[in-house]
Amino acid sequence: MSAPLLEVRNLTKFFPVRAGVFLRKVGDVHAVDDVSFTLHRGETLGLVGESGCGKSTVGKTILNLLRPTAGQVLFEGRDLGTLSHAEWRAVRRDIQIVFQDPMESLNARHTVGQILEEPFVIHKLGTPEERNVWARDLLERVGLPRSAVSRFPHEFSGGQRQRIGIARAIALKPKLIICDEAVSALDVSVRAQIVNLLLELQHDMELALLFIAHDLSVVRHVSNEVAVMYLGRIVERASSNEIYDQPCHPYTRALVSAIPLPDPGRERERIVLEGDVPSPIEPPPGCRFHTRCAHAERVCAEKTPEWETVTPWQQVACHRWRELQEQTGP
Amino acid sequence: MAEPILRVENLCCGFHTEDGYIRVVDSVSFECEAGKTLGLVGESGCGKTVSALAVMGLLPQPAGVVEEGRILFRGEDLASTSHDTMRVVRGQQIGMIFQEPMTALNPVHRVGKQLFEALRLYESGLEKDELTARAVEALEQVGIPDPERRLREYPHQLSGGMRQRVMIAMALAGQPEILIADEPTTALDVTVQAQILDLLRELQQERGMTMIFITHDLGVVAEFCDEVLVMYAGRIAERAPVGQLFKTPRHPYTHGLIESLPRMDTPSRTPLNTIEGVVPKLTEMPAGCRFSNRCSYADERCGLEVPALESCAERGAVRDPRDPNHDEETRAAEPRAARHEVACHHWQRLAA
Repeated sequence: MSAPLLEVRNLTKFFPVRAGVFLRKVGDVHAVDDVSFTLHRGETLGLVGESGCGKSTVGKTILNLLRPTAGQVLFEGRDLGTLSHAEWRAVRRDIQIVFQDPMESLNARHTVGQILEEPFVIHKLGTPEERNVWARDLLERVGLPRSAVSRFPHEFSGGQRQRIGIARAIALKPKLIICDEAVSALDVSVRAQIVNLLLELQHDMELALLFIAHDLSVVRHVSNEVAVMYLGRIVERASSNEIYDQPCHPYTRALVSAIPLPDPGRERERIVLEGDVPSPIEPPPGCRFHTRCAHAERVCAEKTPEWETVTPWQQVACHRWRELQEQTGP
Repeated sequence: MAEPILRVENLCCGFHTEDGYIRVVDSVSFECEAGKTLGLVGESGCGKTVSALAVMGLLPQPAGVVEEGRILFRGEDLASTSHDTMRVVRGQQIGMIFQEPMTALNPVHRVGKQLFEALRLYESGLEKDELTARAVEALEQVGIPDPERRLREYPHQLSGGMRQRVMIAMALAGQPEILIADEPTTALDVTVQAQILDLLRELQQERGMTMIFITHDLGVVAEFCDEVLVMYAGRIAERAPVGQLFKTPRHPYTHGLIESLPRMDTPSRTPLNTIEGVVPKLTEMPAGCRFSNRCSYADERCGLEVPALESCAERGAVRDPRDPNHDEETRAAEPRAARHEVACHHWQRLAA
């Protein structure tokens, strides 16, 4: 297999918690703790989890919008943490991001043309005339009229704005796009349009996508591989079929069973988790899920589970997955 | 047939804006059967929330207007009743919970104070001790652990799921017969959503409460509702018992909506079905069927003539044909819930 496009090794990001008159550090928010994964050219990795599990922090840390506390991010084999400013600028062309709310990520006072030309201006590409043509080409590429260059973001619907956000992201022909809840705010019928657009662009441009979202059914649909996060850690990694057909981690099982299916009358086992996610300031020792896990034993509270291989396409970090699988069947 | 607890007839409402009056909800009629859950489903701006606010008499004033139509609650028309009567109806007969409990709760008051306020509204002259006891009981009923402590906390100290539980406790303080839930789980994570849906289901069974459940999530509709009203651009596109809606959707919009969902049992990374285009602006609605500009079945007639809501139920689906009493008279007397209606000129083509 070829070298991965993106390799994240033991990525850790803590945010200090300060208190008192002198703002002394009193603790850390363990936002991302020892997260590792790889992503190959032209493929999609889905990062799924609930609010506060650290999935967006992973995305921002890869882009160096946040500095990692520990760990490495390797892009095409180069450690992004060691790059100079000039080198970063070059890498930024290859890594782009699409956010959830395009109304917040697009400058409301700029025309769509200005927004789409900006990447070229920053990277000193083309003449003003060329940039204008490129901006129009980009609009056409994402399914908007070329004439939209002279309009403002507020004149568009949510789905159209997200198309503009995607057009900006693909302007510099990146190799990787981080989609941070890129389709979460959209209505169902529009969401399907945007998902299709992303899949199409990915195919045409050989894009790799890091697809961060809380909606497992959408994540599963766009991804080759899915990583499930809970409280700063990845608890299970699997190909998109396995993650639904035979989830191994008790948290993944609960997550899968909690998705309401548009299929009335279908009987299935529902696992409803008790309580709330514990605070990431003092995450539980051992397996972070043990406080809410119905199958937890003493070992779960004492020892952090190691990665175990279920199949070549599926790894799980759980002490008890084997027994659970025997109990409930695959 | 039992008289429905709530009957909305031909409701039309809208808002005065700088560009003139805009009608947002157009000729919407529905009934709620006691003890059942009616789902109002549709995408942003389809008028589902405005319809519910009109029922509650909570349309923003002075811009919001109920133009015409009747909202009959136990035979009394809420659309034309006095403000004083509405104050009694709200909370004690019809309660409501909203999508974002953080905006519905007052951030500068403790949870207890806000809950006391709700309790005092319905029962005056309660002593402090009694009030606290009631509040603790109310929080216990919605599954909040350590309620005494929670009463002394501020909304921001609670998680999203907890806040929604507090909202439910407040909405239920007046023992309403109908609970309108407006996207109550949309802002919540899936596992928390599952908790809240379970709670609502439990409370509904205990109290025999009727629910109107507003959502854009077809998955939630499938799991939670008995009957569903699909709205598009201010009008009803289709109404059906939940099973039939998903099995045999008759409106091209409903069909498209269901088809565009990524499903867990289909291969991943294949193109999803989509509904092309976007919802037309309220000021630029087509004269006929409002879905006509996005519909693959549309012809000239659709652009001109508004389709009426007509029955499209299959005879066999409505009632067991072996039933000896199966004649026109008993069919008419059947509960509304067994009916399947669609507002489309071409539903037969879609069905075929």
